[in-house]
Formats: sequence, C-alpha cells, structure tokens
Amino acid sequence: MDFSFTEEQDMLRISARDFLAKECPKAKVREMTEDERGYDVQMWHSMAELGWMGLVFPEEYGGMAASLMDLVILMEEMGRNILPGPFFSTIALCALPLLEYGNSEQKTKFLPQIAKGEAIWTFALAESSGRYEASEIKLRAVLGGTNYVLEGHKLFVTDAHVADYVLVVGRTGDGERLEDGITLFIVDARGSNVKMEAIPTIGGDRQFKVSFDGVTVPEDNILGKIGEGWDIVDFILQRAAVLKCAEMSGACQAVLDMTSSYAKERIQFDRPIGSFQAIQHKLADMLIDVEAVQYLLYQAAWGISVGVPSPWQISAAKAKVNEAYQRICIEAIGAHGAIGYTMDHDVGLYYRRVKVAQFVAGDTDWHREVIAVGLGL
Amino acid sequence: MDFRLGEKELALKEEIRKFAEAELPPDLMRNTVIDGEFRDFEFEISMSRKLAQRGWLVMSWPEKYGGRGASLLEQTVYEMEIAYWGIPGAWMGISGIQWVGPCLMMFGTEEQRDKYLPLIASGGKDGVWCTGYSEPNAGSDFASIRTRAVRDRDDYIINGQKVWTSAAHRARWCWLAVRTNPNAAKKHQGISIFIVDMKSPGVTVNPILNYYGRHHFNEVFFDNVRVPASNLVGEENKGWYYLMQSLAFERRSIAPTTYGSLNRILEDLAEYAAQTEYEGQPLSKNPLVRAKLADLAIDLEVLKMFAFQLAWRITQGQIPVYESSRNKIMGDDLMRRGAITGAEILGIYSQADPDSEWAKLNGAVQGAYLGFPGQAIAAGTAEIEKSIIGQFRLGLPKSY
Repeated sequence: MDFSFTEEQDMLRISARDFLAKECPKAKVREMTEDERGYDVQMWHSMAELGWMGLVFPEEYGGMAASLMDLVILMEEMGRNILPGPFFSTIALCALPLLEYGNSEQKTKFLPQIAKGEAIWTFALAESSGRYEASEIKLRAVLGGTNYVLEGHKLFVTDAHVADYVLVVGRTGDGERLEDGITLFIVDARGSNVKMEAIPTIGGDRQFKVSFDGVTVPEDNILGKIGEGWDIVDFILQRAAVLKCAEMSGACQAVLDMTSSYAKERIQFDRPIGSFQAIQHKLADMLIDVEAVQYLLYQAAWGISVGVPSPWQISAAKAKVNEAYQRICIEAIGAHGAIGYTMDHDVGLYYRRVKVAQFVAGDTDWHREVIAVGLGL
Repeated sequence: MDFRLGEKELALKEEIRKFAEAELPPDLMRNTVIDGEFRDFEFEISMSRKLAQRGWLVMSWPEKYGGRGASLLEQTVYEMEIAYWGIPGAWMGISGIQWVGPCLMMFGTEEQRDKYLPLIASGGKDGVWCTGYSEPNAGSDFASIRTRAVRDRDDYIINGQKVWTSAAHRARWCWLAVRTNPNAAKKHQGISIFIVDMKSPGVTVNPILNYYGRHHFNEVFFDNVRVPASNLVGEENKGWYYLMQSLAFERRSIAPTTYGSLNRILEDLAEYAAQTEYEGQPLSKNPLVRAKLADLAIDLEVLKMFAFQLAWRITQGQIPVYESSRNKIMGDDLMRRGAITGAEILGIYSQADPDSEWAKLNGAVQGAYLGFPGQAIAAGTAEIEKSIIGQFRLGLPKSY
C-alpha cells in the first residue's frame, strides 16, 4: 500500500492552487455568477495553455497522458477555489467517454479542440423525473434515411448555453431490459431546433432545460454502438461521481480551513472561540469528515487509474461526500455565527453549491442503493 | 498511491480463515466486547498459545523476541481478521502485546526485553499483563495520578490505588504509572513507569463488575509494594512521554479490530435480512433496512482506510500526531451505530440475553450494544480525542 502522492502530483496541486488563487479569487467567483456566460474566457484559455483540458488525453490528441488520479488532484483544487465554468461538463462528462468510446474519426476531430480550449461540451441525461434510471429515458431518436431525428427534452443540463456540443442520451429502441435501446448522440448545440430555457438554481451555476424539437443527427455522430449506450452512461456516471467528489473534497477542505482560521481569530469572552471545546470538537468532526472523503475518493480514483474501477468504492465516495460536504458547511456557518449567513462571506458560496453538487452523478440514496446491492441485499 | 494488499496479506487472510474454521467451536459466543477476553480464561490462553505457535501472536516483533518482523500492514490485516472471526486470546489481557512489548522495545533495558518479551510472545499465562493508569481522581486528567513510588536503596516502594484495571485478576505483571516526583514544576514531569509483579506482597485486586455483571475491570491497591529499581522503565520522571506513546499504540489497534468485528456483524445482518420475512417479502427488500446497512458499510470503508493509512504512516517512519485519535473516534462511533442499527434490524430479538439460545447472530449485536459505551471510554473519551485533534492537528488553543 502507498498513501502518498508522487512528486509530480504534488507539483500539479501546488501549481493549480497558485494559478487559481491568483486568477480566480472569490471576487471573480461572485462576478461570474452575474456574468452572462458564467465563466472567464481569458482564464479558460490560460487553463488550456497549462494543459488542464487535455490532462488525461494521450499526446496524439494534444494531451499530457496523465492519470485520472492526476485529474482528481486538479479538480480538488478547482473545487477548493470554486472555479466557475464548463470544465466539469466538458472534461468529466464528455471528453472521458469520447476518449473511451469514440471512434478514431470522432477522437481526432473532437479531442484536440477540447484540449486547446476551443470547444465546450455538456451532457444531457435527466428528464422530468430528474432521476438516473434507464426507464426514465423518454427522448426518442428515430432513424430517417442516414440521420436520426431527436424529439424530446432534457433537464438540468449544465452550461448548455455556452456549449458547442451536447452529448444526448436518447432511446432508439426497446429491448428486454430498460437499459436496452439507449443510444448516445453528439448534437450540435447551436442547431436551430435545439432550444434552451434557463433553470435558475441556488448554486449560482448555469443549468438549462434543453428541448430537441426534431433535431437531425447524422449517424456519424453516434457515440459507441446503437442501442448499447447505457454502458456509456454507466461509465460517465462513475467517472463523474469521482470527479465531482474531487471538487467537493477540495471544497470541504477549504471550508474547514476557513473555519479553523476564524476560530483562532475570533475573540469572545476574552479568548479565541477555538479554545472552547464546543467549537473545537465541531472542527475535529469536520476534519474527520474531510479525511474520510479524501481516502474514499483516492481509493475510488486509484481503482479507475489502474484499470480496476469499483462501482462500490465509487458509490461509497460519492455518498459520503454528499453528506459530509453538507454537514461541514452547516457546521461552518454555525461556527462563524451571523457573519457566515451574509452575502459578503465566502462560506455561503460553498453552502449554496452543496445542493448542486449532491445531485451530480447520483444523490446519496442512489449511491446507497449501489452499496446495498453490493452487500447482497 | 496504491491501495492493493500484498500477496502476503492476502495469504494471511486465507490462513486465518482456515485457522478459525478448524479451531473455533461453531457456537462460539461472539459477544466478547462486553467481557474483554477473560470469561473462559483457560480456553483463551489455549488459543493464545496456538496463535503463538503459528507465529501470529506478536508477528510484527523482531525474531529475537519471538516475532517474525511482519510489517504493520500485515499486523493490521491480522487484527482485522482476528476480530472478524472473533478469535479469542489474541490480546493476552490487552496490554502486553499491544503496548508493553512495543514500549519495552523502545524504552526498556536489554534485561527487561530479554525477560518479558519472550513470555508475552509464547502466549502463556506468565505473559499476561495489566496496565495501571487510571485512579479514582485521575481519569481523563491522567497526569494527576497520586500513586507514589519512593526510592529505598535498590528498590522502590509503591503505595496507592489504581482503578478500571482491565484483566488485573488474570495478569502476572502490571505496567504501572506512578508519581516519582511530587514537586515537579508540571504534573506530567514527575511520572515514571514500573514493571510490577502482581504476586508481590501488598498487591490486592478487587473486582469491579460492569453493568452487565461481567468481570473485566478491577481496582488494584498497592500497600508498601517493594519493586526492584531494575524494574523502572526508561528514565525516572520521563514516564509521561512513554505513556503517550503507549496510548498511541493502544488507540492504533482500535480501528482494525472494530473494523473486523463490525464487518462480520454487517455481513451477518445482511444475511439475516435476506432470510427473514417481513410483510410478505425478505426484510432485505425494505428500503429503510437497505439504507441503514449501506450507511454502515460506507463508514466501515472509511474506518478501513483510516486503519491502513495510519499503519502505512508508521511504516514510513513518520510519527502519527492525531491519526490514532481520529481512528478511535471513528471506530467508537461506528461501534455505537453498528450496535444500534443491528438492534433495529433484529427487532424484538435484540433484547435476548447474548448467551441464550434466543439471541440471533450468536449475541454479537447485544455484545456490541452492551460493550460499546465501555470501549468508547477506554484509552481516551471522544471528548479527549477531539481536543487532541483540535490542538495538535488544527493548531487551536488548548481547551482544558
């Protein structure tokens, strides 16, 4: 066993932390919640120059051939800083499945664009029920000639307004199992029959209802095999769970750090509130939560990195972080007192984003169910 | 990073499984959490000897003291498996294997090591130790101990009282914390450790029954007990440092053992739920039961990672600062949750006496329920452990 990061991984973390501290202060985060695009285009291009978009791509697609564990480290730092923008949707939700399931034409066409920061992608899965079961996929894709025609809508599609492409989960047929007959389509997000309606969220991010009113998609733009798309959805949800967990893990650490600092500075009853056990023990509980999340995350990411992904470990990590992140934020606001409830304080930025992050790639109950099945229940 | 167990560890798991299947009575009561290990002492010591013969009892000790130089990761796997199978006798009265031996290796004289370590390693009755730390007025405030040792030529003379002394009624030796300098500037600077022969004149052991009538704890009185000066461990008045080390050793093994025993309870509960009908379908289909067991499984996975991370850190030659405290809090909290969740799933049967034929899962859940409040206090309460994390990991001001 080895619980340490490599020197290169430590370097990656430090350089990401430095970059984000400089380029993405909380003033920028706040500014971006009001911004029409929701992210800083200049920063986006700097990130591409640093090689972040193509971090895990092979060199032939303009990447750096790093491991998923490296991406986890990078995304912990993004989460720590609340980096706004479409990195998660582009890389975690779309580039990874493109890399795994795309044919060579698709990879050659799309991946270098992504690596250069020239293309933004997003993933459209959930429909009216907002749940991640194959039975919920009602969006129909019907073959007419060499094209498929998509009819239906998707909800909670993140960053759709700035996306160039949407990876859409549709139903092309019905089989014995509900998972049969699911197909993934690469759809031009700017096509005329693709309509978007904003779903305002408490997290200050950008999510949309995306309607596909007879959208034509050429056969070439099918990802993977027709009717066998649910395997790709599983693949995406597993990676996305780990990478969202990474963002949340970084955020948990940030909230613990700010609360711990505040407890040392804030004087009441003539002494720092951190000298009171009521506060100190809260912070100890937060630390245990933070480290619990980290080790479950690293275990799950390591499994994927060495080619033995464990759905059980992935679900343990995401279920844990969903609860821990929420608990940490609530306790942190309590420890800060009224100042933690204000617009000016950073802790609220994290707390509001808990609700967004919890539902990405499976809420707690969804992952508990994976665990329960693994227990033989 | 790499989270694989090595071939050695995997092979060891398999060997312990075979050992457990061959050596344990099928109806073994697995409610040892309430008893400590001292109810059927002859049986337990017979198992200690078998573990010693296998080379497992003190596997991480060097060969010259009866071990086989196993890594702490292997040791951790061993502790998890011993607890999983409920193999008694593995701790030899708790103290000797876990901290007396390791502390003697760090701070003892060569003579002390040669005399005491092989006795522990052989798994016999003369290797059973107890530990004299708490006193009536020194619990969490451990540095306030008053039991005195006064030098008298080649001996020390000890007077005072210890309490909550696990296994004192079975122990051949006592690892005893005493005050040697009552005038030290700070309380913790006047403390020393002695090895005391429990057969010495002036030692009196009285049982303290726990709330379930089991005999685990004792009070021990020292009335002019004469101990040779060669039984002083390390330097006089430096005992506090050794004590903190001993507590770190003690706290380390709580996570692996709690993980092992709870993992077994979790598996047994899952099986029980699958076989038990409830409103016309297996209890395992009940969403509440599924969610409760899943939550337990997730945090057990955390405990496992914590246990391995701490062991790994020590094997890297690093000195853990707060990890033992973190693991103890997590382990105790999970034991509580496992007991309560387990009892909820067993329902009305969870009240059956753990030794009776009415008890499900060989009484393991009742054992955990009756035992966890005691385990949570031993070696430092959650409040003490959280203060350690606050002060030494988060850099907060001292709170007491």
